[in-house]
Amino acid sequence: MTTPELMSSIRDTNLAYLILAQQMVRQDRATAIYRLGISVELADLIDTLSPAQIVRLASSNLMLVRLRFDETIAGLLSNLSKDRSLIQAHASILFAAQPCEPMAPLNDMSS
Amino acid sequence: MTVRTVSGDAQQILLASELIRLGARLQLLESETTLSRERLLKLYKELRGVSPPKGMLPFSTDWFISWQPNIHASVFLGIYRYLLDHARLSGIDAVLKAYRLYLEQMPPEPSEQPVLSLTRAWTLIRFFDNRMLSVQRCDICHGQFISHAFQPRCGTRCGLCHPPARAGKRKRIDKTAEVDYSISSGSNW
Repeated sequence: MTTPELMSSIRDTNLAYLILAQQMVRQDRATAIYRLGISVELADLIDTLSPAQIVRLASSNLMLVRLRFDETIAGLLSNLSKDRSLIQAHASILFAAQPCEPMAPLNDMSS
Repeated sequence: MTVRTVSGDAQQILLASELIRLGARLQLLESETTLSRERLLKLYKELRGVSPPKGMLPFSTDWFISWQPNIHASVFLGIYRYLLDHARLSGIDAVLKAYRLYLEQMPPEPSEQPVLSLTRAWTLIRFFDNRMLSVQRCDICHGQFISHAFQPRCGTRCGLCHPPARAGKRKRIDKTAEVDYSISSGSNW
């Protein structure tokens, strides 16, 4: 993959994420906050973004979304010898115990 | 009780219907809605076609400690507390939303009931609020798991990091599909 292709893929992923996140927040705010692992403030902000703002925000060459787990959790969850439904349960318990972190770039956009 | 309005009444009926569809028992309905017992009974029969089961709700906290129920209840409690902390929900709304999300995370087999029923989930929150149950952090994965209150803390390992030897063995022998946690003998209600 060449660098321009890579950049364009990142932008596509950002855009897809933001569109989906906004849809989820508008459909059911509380559920979206749990599923996305974001704060109420961030959910409110995503809700108010216009399509133009979403496109602008997504056009960053850096990934806007961060992984929700550290290496301990990743190791546990990618363990292939365990039952899939148990891993699902474990993931859900571990995600719920984590604090939700704000994504940095959004704060710049809100003005 | 508060002043009754038609729209308030309608909201209560909608809430009660949703709870009944998810399997709530009468005690839960009576305590979480403002509708009279007679109306709840009628609503229950309309929606389910049968009278609600009679008798008391189980009052033991032990069910939540055995292996499979503990995992399911910990999933539910984790979601519930997340919604309380981060989504500004409270009361029965939080229980309902958390229960729906729990069903999504741990969908029951097509012909089976969910391991944690809505009434059990509601009871769990009451036990938790009254400090009869508490949570402990697993030393290995740092997940929060339900435990008896005031249990001494030394070398806690959760049922997922260290499943008991017999956990999930039954169905594998039967060569049935992949979901196989079946150690609990507790019946659903």
